[in-house]
This record gives sequence, structure tokens and C-alpha cells, in this order.
Amino acid sequence: MSILARHEGGILLRAFEPTDVPELQGILNAPGLAGRRYLPDEFSDLAPLAQRHVEALVNQWQKETKAWTLAVVDAGALRLVGYVRADWRWDPHCPSAHGVIAPDAQRRGFGTAALSLALGYLFEETPAHVVSAWLASWNHPGLAFAAQCGYFRAGQRPRAGVHDSVFFDEVAFDMLRREWRAKEATRHAA
Amino acid sequence: MPLDGTIVTLREERREDQRLFAALRNDLDTQAWSRALPPDYTEEMHVKRFEAMEFAFERTSARFVIEHKASGRAAGFVSYTDAQHRLSVSIGIVVAREFWGTGVALDAQETLLRFLFDDLGLREVHLWTHTGLPRAIALAERSGFTACVRLRESVFKFGGLFDAVIMSLVREDYSARRPEKVDRLPTLGG
Repeated sequence: MSILARHEGGILLRAFEPTDVPELQGILNAPGLAGRRYLPDEFSDLAPLAQRHVEALVNQWQKETKAWTLAVVDAGALRLVGYVRADWRWDPHCPSAHGVIAPDAQRRGFGTAALSLALGYLFEETPAHVVSAWLASWNHPGLAFAAQCGYFRAGQRPRAGVHDSVFFDEVAFDMLRREWRAKEATRHAA
Repeated sequence: MPLDGTIVTLREERREDQRLFAALRNDLDTQAWSRALPPDYTEEMHVKRFEAMEFAFERTSARFVIEHKASGRAAGFVSYTDAQHRLSVSIGIVVAREFWGTGVALDAQETLLRFLFDDLGLREVHLWTHTGLPRAIALAERSGFTACVRLRESVFKFGGLFDAVIMSLVREDYSARRPEKVDRLPTLGG
């Protein structure tokens, strides 16, 4: 069984289908995700997205060969709750991974489970040596989530954007393969 | 009109520069970056890339040839990419080995920074380098850049692992180095 097809933490990762578009549009346009959708540059991270935007987004995700963005599905309710992305376009040695969960589905372990599967894929099925993640400095829940998932803070680049009338930074995180393995060993021993 | 420095001029690239670009691309020391490309690029490949460039008003990247004033020779190039207008940009510099230690790189970098801050009105300029390139880090520091992100072991080059480093220069720090010049770019507070 594919590592990504596993049920873990109450979720299932699967490919996006055209029928997901209305539900995905609802998630992306949730006010709680404004500014932290972490989409490709061509799509606004803030403005409401029309159905055609979301169709184009899914279409773009499906064409990628050096990255995947998968639907995170609540395995119990079979409901789309977010997406998780792994991206090795620059270098398979140092890919990035992050997840986005609908505000009304947060704090239920879906994000942790989805990111864990993505990291497992990168560290167990690819040559990745270190995985990074990038978040806005005002996204405090996201920063806490990254640390909780085992990422280490690698610094922050100033003036990444403007939010609430002030400049914000882009915070970088990284996790080495040996740190992932140690974390997994601890998790399985518990 | 070219950008005028003290010992260099930054000008548009020309067809006759493509031989130098291929040579720099094929030099694993000047190519520098982590995902090393095979050193088999030809002048013809570069000419094709050059001839495919089209006029556009919306530009998020540019490349300037560094012309050494005293000799009239092309010494390398500086570039910027991923420009977020009025906000930030990433820069790069490649100088032919025979011009190392001559001040050409520093003057080219300073000339580009003047354009980016004074004419493009950017708030932040950054560059990516790695710990295996102390000369590049020192060059950036001489223009006021400071390391803000260090991604551990994310670069494999020269047979070893190095940390990727993002170095950043914010507008206020750049302006502080030129107290004689009043910065009239509006702030978020005004």
C-alpha cells in the first residue's frame, strides 16, 4: 500500500478530483485562512477565489511532476478538510512540506497526521535529507503547529509582506532526516 | 541608459556576451549553487535563450552585464529575480575568476542596490548563498547584508554538506549607510 494511502490519525490522503472544487473553494475562502492558504503565486492568498480560480488551481496541482498536493480527507466523515503539499522542484535533497486545514477542522489532529504522512513520504521514499517549511510571522497557530510537528526554526526573512498595516517576516523551519527518524522512533516507542 | 558605478557599468546583455555566460555557467566554482548543472552549456544555447527574450512592461527579473570600465571588458553579471513590486527581490552575482579581488563584484552589487532601492522603491533585498562560499558571504556583508535564515545541510556541493544561507538587507539599514540622502519612500505609518 502506498505510504500516502494509509489511514493515519483519522485521515486519508488522496488526489484531488474535479468534484472537490466546490468544497475546496469553501475551505480556501474561509476567513480564517485569509493570508495563509499558501498557494502558488498566481493565486491570491487573500482575495476570494471564484470557482474558476479553484478549478485552475486543481488543474495546476495535477500537472506537477516534482510536487504533489493531496486532499486531506476526514476518514470518518469522508469530508475534505484541507490539503498537504510536498515540493521538490528545486532539489530532492531539500524539499519543502506543509499542510493547510480548514478552520472548522483544526485542532483535531488532521494537520499533524497529514504532515506526518508527507514527511514520511519524503524521508522514506525519496532522497530528502532535510525538509523545510515557510510561514508568515503573524501566523502564530501555524508557527506553533510547525514546532509541534518537529520542525526547527531556521530564521526569518524580513519584509515578506504586509499584514494588518505592518510588514511581516517569512519564518523558515527545517527538519533533518535524522531528526525525523529520532522523532518517529520515540513516537513508535510510546 | 546603463547603471553607472565607480569602476563598473551595469548594462543590458548583448548577443556577444553569450560566450561569457556559457563559460561562467560551465565553471563549477562560479556556478556556485547547490544543484550543480552539468558544465556542458554552449554559446549557441545561450544565444537561443537571449533571442527568445521579449519586450514586456511587467518585469519581475532582470540581468545586467558587469562591464569593467578600465578595460571595457565584460566581467560577469548581476541579476534580480522574483521581484515583488515595491516590496522585495532576490539578487545574484557571478563574476569571472580573473576579476576576483578587484572590487568589481562589490561595485556591481552596490550599483544594483542603488537601482533597486532608489528606482524600484523596494523595502528589502535578499540573496541565497551557502556556507561553502565564504567569499560570497563576505561580499554580501560588505554591502550591509546580514544572515537571517540558515537551512541546515541543505546544500551538497564540492563533495560536502553546507547550510543554505539567506542574507537580507532592509531599506532602513541601506539608508542608514547613506545619511546624506533623505529617503522619501512612504512608510506604512505615513
